[in-house]
Amino acid sequence: MSPVLSARGLSKRYGKHVAVDNIDFEIPAGRIVGLIGPNGSGKTTTLKAALGLITFEGELSVLGLDPRTQRDQLMKDVCFIADVAILPRWLRVKDAVDFVEGVHPRFDRSKAERYIASTKLKPTMKVKEMSKGMVVQLHLALVMAIDAKLLVLDEPTLGLDILYRKQFYQNLLEDYFDEGKTIVITTHQVEEVEHILTDLLFIREGKIALSASMEEIGQRYVEVMVPNEKAAAARALQPIDQRAVFGKSVMLFDTERAGGLSRIQLEALGEVRHPSVADLFVATMKGSYA
Amino acid sequence: MSTHMSTMKWLIRRELWEHKGAFLWAPMAVAAALILLIGGGFVYGMASSGVIHLHAGEGATMTITGLPPDVYAKIAAVAASSYLAITAPLFLVLPVVVFFYCLAALHDDRRDRSILFWKSLPMSDRDTVLSKVITALVVAPLATMAIGIAAALALLLLGLIGGAIRGVNLIAPVLANINFYLSPLYLLSFLPLYILWALPTVGWLLLVSSWARSKVFLWAVGVPLVILALLAWFDFLIGRFTGLSMNVKWFGEEVVARVLLGVMPGVWFGESNGAALMNQQQGFDGPMLLGVSYATLGTPGVWIAAAAGCAMIYGAIRLRRWRDEG
Repeated sequence: MSPVLSARGLSKRYGKHVAVDNIDFEIPAGRIVGLIGPNGSGKTTTLKAALGLITFEGELSVLGLDPRTQRDQLMKDVCFIADVAILPRWLRVKDAVDFVEGVHPRFDRSKAERYIASTKLKPTMKVKEMSKGMVVQLHLALVMAIDAKLLVLDEPTLGLDILYRKQFYQNLLEDYFDEGKTIVITTHQVEEVEHILTDLLFIREGKIALSASMEEIGQRYVEVMVPNEKAAAARALQPIDQRAVFGKSVMLFDTERAGGLSRIQLEALGEVRHPSVADLFVATMKGSYA
Repeated sequence: MSTHMSTMKWLIRRELWEHKGAFLWAPMAVAAALILLIGGGFVYGMASSGVIHLHAGEGATMTITGLPPDVYAKIAAVAASSYLAITAPLFLVLPVVVFFYCLAALHDDRRDRSILFWKSLPMSDRDTVLSKVITALVVAPLATMAIGIAAALALLLLGLIGGAIRGVNLIAPVLANINFYLSPLYLLSFLPLYILWALPTVGWLLLVSSWARSKVFLWAVGVPLVILALLAWFDFLIGRFTGLSMNVKWFGEEVVARVLLGVMPGVWFGESNGAALMNQQQGFDGPMLLGVSYATLGTPGVWIAAAAGCAMIYGAIRLRRWRDEG
């Protein structure tokens, strides 16, 4: 099966600044991909290129289409929430539902109404009367009711409280996602999405820093709780990151680093765990804020 | 094709949701004010003096007490053919509404970034821009005409009933006059001409609206005026030193006026035969007015400007396609 999204030599320059620097990646169908990187790393630019919102250099194919020249066709199967969700201030809830139903052949009205019913939104309410969280709720309700082949969510839950965020990701996984769909998510709250992700794509300074499935990551990266007496020996194995917790050192190892590193070697040092995506992210991104 | 039509229908409906105030409430408020002021004038006039004032457009006012039959017929004819003239103020509101609508049409959603929501739905930039063109050139004028016709009929009715109560019954002769029924059709017949004349202005405003990051009004109005002023200055200098003269007046009339004033209904009368317009004895002569107006299509200027308007609309579509609001 051909990939849903494939980029080869994708670059985007804003004047002298290179936002995306000659990257290659592929996203197959039926995956939930976390596109993760610090602010200004090029993740939003990459998504905008894929959604046909900006020009770019290189090759980019989304559902087999070129987003530059075939955007109108592409948008029948792609939906997105770009950046911070903003809806026009004058829009009423019921008008928004009517409108999307009118223009989108893949919109399921009853589904949207069900999501809206679970919020404090009222049909006659205008966007300008809503709190920020309510605007996001409306936007998510509309988007989740669209049966798109590719859903791109750029910081979808910004401004939502934790209860609704959890609920949203649960709905996304249980209600929305299936093997025929692909979801790409960027978020700062990595810990909230990591349990639903199937793949990770770390992006740093316009380049892909890591691209792997969650299984691969579980195999490759190992976190070890090292007691103090073994700390020196552990440090000799060059952990990519370490921090201290309750008198022990928590060290993160890349088993595929130069020279190789076996799991047995690590187990001898202390208790072995899967690292969290957030810790992996911090380790991978070290130095990018410097 | 059917989904295409339906998308356009929803896009236009969206414009009405957003601009209900400008397209409906503003003309309705003006119409209500007209009915209150003029209708109130009728009633007050009748109550206080027993004399009826019939406003027959263009400032002609007749005072009626008791009348010979031939004058009856004449008044009825004027009323039947000219009753729509009373709504002229509505057609002064229309260009203002359309002008500012076009300026904001492709800019507001970029400024508040809600454009990203619209762009996440399956509708092309072409359809989006065209829905705004149709709203400006067809929906807004039709709404104003409909409200105008309704207000004029209400006022005519008030006048006729008032007259009848005071013993000047014009109801039958007015209803029997064919012009009473044709007047709304004459008014509607101006729409295609209005569209042609308004195209350059709508095109220019949408182009600026699609292009400018801020200060849309300043760009849209400032650029043509500054160019005009510069040309006038160069013309003055060149004239002093060489005796040559550029045709600055031509630029002002054919370019600046067309891109800024085209949305003004009746702007074409500036190019028409004025003498014919002066000679109206029996109220408005609809066919004659239409004839004089449509005669302006005989000159190439209006067509060239309309084509330029379409080109600018195309430019607005292209700009909207690639405007990066990141």
